[in-house]
Amino acid sequence: MSLFLLSIFFLVALLLGVFLLSSRHSWRLSRLPGDPVAFEECELHHATHLPQIRQALSETDNEFLTKRGSSVLRRRVHRERRGVVLGYLRELRRDFEKQLQIARIIAALSPEVTAVQEWERLRLTLKFIWQYEIIRMQLQAGLAPLPRLSGLANIVSGLSVRMENAIKELGERAAMATELASALDRGGVDHI
Amino acid sequence: MVAPVVYFQWALFALLFLSQAALVAIFLARKSWRAYPAFFSYILLNLVQGGALFAIYRSRGFSSDLAQYFGWASQGAIILARALAIAELCRHLLARYSGIWALTKRLIFVCGVALALYSVFAAGRRWDTGVLKADRGLELTIIVVIVVLFLCARNYGIAASPIIHALALGFCLNSAFWVLNDAILEQKFAPYDALWNILNALTYLATLLLWIWTFRNPLPDAEVDPTLLPRDVYRVMAPEVNVRLRLLNESLSKLYKAEARRS
Repeated sequence: MSLFLLSIFFLVALLLGVFLLSSRHSWRLSRLPGDPVAFEECELHHATHLPQIRQALSETDNEFLTKRGSSVLRRRVHRERRGVVLGYLRELRRDFEKQLQIARIIAALSPEVTAVQEWERLRLTLKFIWQYEIIRMQLQAGLAPLPRLSGLANIVSGLSVRMENAIKELGERAAMATELASALDRGGVDHI
Repeated sequence: MVAPVVYFQWALFALLFLSQAALVAIFLARKSWRAYPAFFSYILLNLVQGGALFAIYRSRGFSSDLAQYFGWASQGAIILARALAIAELCRHLLARYSGIWALTKRLIFVCGVALALYSVFAAGRRWDTGVLKADRGLELTIIVVIVVLFLCARNYGIAASPIIHALALGFCLNSAFWVLNDAILEQKFAPYDALWNILNALTYLATLLLWIWTFRNPLPDAEVDPTLLPRDVYRVMAPEVNVRLRLLNESLSKLYKAEARRS
């Protein structure tokens, strides 16, 4: 078999694989964009655990254990804290994904969408996933010491507050748009 | 003495003809052609082409010049009809979401034009291999367009109905086998020459059966268009989300660099 044929086979198989994966995903989605439940589920949860995470990562605890505790205890605490950080990273990612979901819903329900913003979000998403996976693998392999995540958490929390305000505003606007559409269907706009 | 493979070919073409006729009948009975006029035209055109080819094969023979020329020339009309049917499929999936649809249309247009141009250049000026190469390129274009469409739908969480999914799957599988068959035939494998038509016909038959199964029931009522948000919501929110995501990325990046230095 020639190289040409092999490359054609590979290309076709790749395209079919991508099609099946993408169509299977969209097939399984039970909720269309615009479902109010999807908006409600986009609240961020990680921020409520931030004080505990800060405590778990505090340097003073570590110093105390180094001075007073045994090496076995220190290792055990370190291992448990690594698990906590990994869990926290997972939550951060979940929050990131929730923000993305909101952004997608807004884009899907917008009459105009700009390619620049959409590409930018795609690029940022790929970058986030790449960095997240590297940090996660390093932590799992025990190659990296425990990171300081408070700065990261503040950013997500800030985003959360602003997004929640925006979602409230969106809900009010969407309700107004629906009322307006139904009034038009009835044959005219209701006069107040 | 007629070879058994010829009988098989006749039987296969008769089966194809009947399947297409059945699909057309289903469309007429269920009035599905109102929702999918371009797809209906594509199937109808295929049926007419099949009937005409059948008549030519019977009168002039399977390998006659007329059969060859008519087969390839009518294929142009079929490809055009298929392009319109696929455009219809894209519209059914995304047109309700006008912003996403506008973006996806541009993406599909760019991919489609690029691949179609490649097909024309790849075809060259030789009649015998040129048609084959152009056909291969166009079939590849169809697959890419459908893949881009579904990737966009997936990216925005837009679900395809089972009908749209079956239509897309049928077009994709059919085009994929055409690409492979054209590529193999282009390599001039002598024994494959006879099989080429049979394999293409079998693929198309499988696709037709899938579509018949999909359209056997009346189409569901048209879905209500979603209420779109005011224009300024996206203009304000999209850059805001992107700025925040960028900040989040920068923090991860700093974290990663800090860890790299420490370790």
